[in-house]
Amino acid sequence: MAIFNAKDRIIECKLVYYGPGRGGKTTNLEYIFKAFHKQTDSEMVSINTMGDRTLFFDFLPMGLGKIRGCDVKVQLYTVPGQSRYRSTRKMVLKGVDGVVFVADSLEVRRKANLLSLKDLAENLKEEGNSIFNIPLVMQYNKRDLEAQGIPLLPLEMLEKDLNSKLKVPYHMASALNGEGVGSTLKEALLLTLRHLQKEIHWTK
Amino acid sequence: MTEKEAIKRLLKEADVYRNQGLLSDSKAKYMEILSVIGKSKTLASHKQLIDGVKSKIRAVNRSLNELKDTLERPELSEDLQHLIKKLFSFSQTKEASAIEGAVALAKFGQYEQALKEFHKLLEQGVLPVVIAKNMIKCYAALRIPQAALVQYSKWKTRDFFSREDLKYVRAFLKTSLEKEGFKVEIPELEAMPSLPSRPKKKNEEVFLEISAVSIQPRGGPLSGQTMDFDVHFQSANTVTILIPAAQKNLVDSLVPGTRLADIQCYSPITVFRSTGTISGAAQIKQGPRRGDYTLDITIDAD
Repeated sequence: MAIFNAKDRIIECKLVYYGPGRGGKTTNLEYIFKAFHKQTDSEMVSINTMGDRTLFFDFLPMGLGKIRGCDVKVQLYTVPGQSRYRSTRKMVLKGVDGVVFVADSLEVRRKANLLSLKDLAENLKEEGNSIFNIPLVMQYNKRDLEAQGIPLLPLEMLEKDLNSKLKVPYHMASALNGEGVGSTLKEALLLTLRHLQKEIHWTK
Repeated sequence: MTEKEAIKRLLKEADVYRNQGLLSDSKAKYMEILSVIGKSKTLASHKQLIDGVKSKIRAVNRSLNELKDTLERPELSEDLQHLIKKLFSFSQTKEASAIEGAVALAKFGQYEQALKEFHKLLEQGVLPVVIAKNMIKCYAALRIPQAALVQYSKWKTRDFFSREDLKYVRAFLKTSLEKEGFKVEIPELEAMPSLPSRPKKKNEEVFLEISAVSIQPRGGPLSGQTMDFDVHFQSANTVTILIPAAQKNLVDSLVPGTRLADIQCYSPITVFRSTGTISGAAQIKQGPRRGDYTLDITIDAD
């Protein structure tokens, strides 16, 4: 539910980073905050509990500057990944315009990825939205662990598990060192702004 | 790969999971290591190695317990509560936005602050039944049924609730507390002195007042989902519900003439199932709910 102020030519949209707990959603936002400091409007808000787990959400507002004469602002959110925080995830998804699904590449997290994607689909449906319609980008995170000999899910398996029906763009990433974080964000923004153009014609 | 190399690899894996905060996966891997050691002819007596792994398991268990004991929803600072209200209220009007903000606080477990906000709104006379329901949810979540009962008693003496509102709030209070496992006695409302009433139309004689309905759309993207709505207005067996503008796709799937095969109707004294037909739909053109939709449902009378 983007907010478009036609008079002042300002559009504000909402992008949510979704995925299983400990998959790297907060690390994505932390890297964005660090690397795109000029574009961030204020401090990143992060409410964590013991063990750096996201308990509520992370929030990072950004200004992308002028695009086709329109001032584009974006609010980035993460959701808490642990299964018990479903109602919080539903709340954060309210009015979402685009989603980045941060999948954990670790072999041991295969089931957690599947459950989280299913949870996303259900929560979007309850909001009157659909996982097949919303601008969505997959990010296969923690690829750097392969070099340490940790068993990772191969790309083919991740694609088969998570993206065989959705067929959305994907990015390999290592949020810890920033690899793939920027390209994921750019693609998600591009898809979201294109989608909003069809819905509310903000560049007219 | 030698046994030693295999153990080394598993240890590294378990340590990485632990550092990543994947405590259950880490524990499972340490257990796997103990099992491998136990089956090994050369390592089974390696006390130092076994003790080392056991000590790691104990440390992971401690972290798991600490996590379990962490408050599910700690009280946030005033600034963060203010931010939550700001970020999760979407309506344009002041009143609707204030309700959304307070509801958001409750959803994020900030029940005490939410109750304060709801109190303020109630004193301003803003949607008393909606506010009362949300306050009851907060009391139930805080597990303080007595506070809810005291509050209900106070509401009975205030004039912003009609008798029918109070009946509904009483039923909601009872259900909410029972759902949380509290057995409570809530006195029935005292009988009102009987007044001569106007002659009733045929439908009114047989139709109960309905406070809320649950429906299951049969088409559109929300097909098969159960959706609950408060009844905004009732005339005989036709009830009017409000649907937010964001749920336009629901309105589109419930065009006038659509049959509803299963409607759950909640009245202050009972719950019953019925069938019905969508008899009207319109978009609100002005006022605080501008842009939202009204939907009329005519419930089958027999």
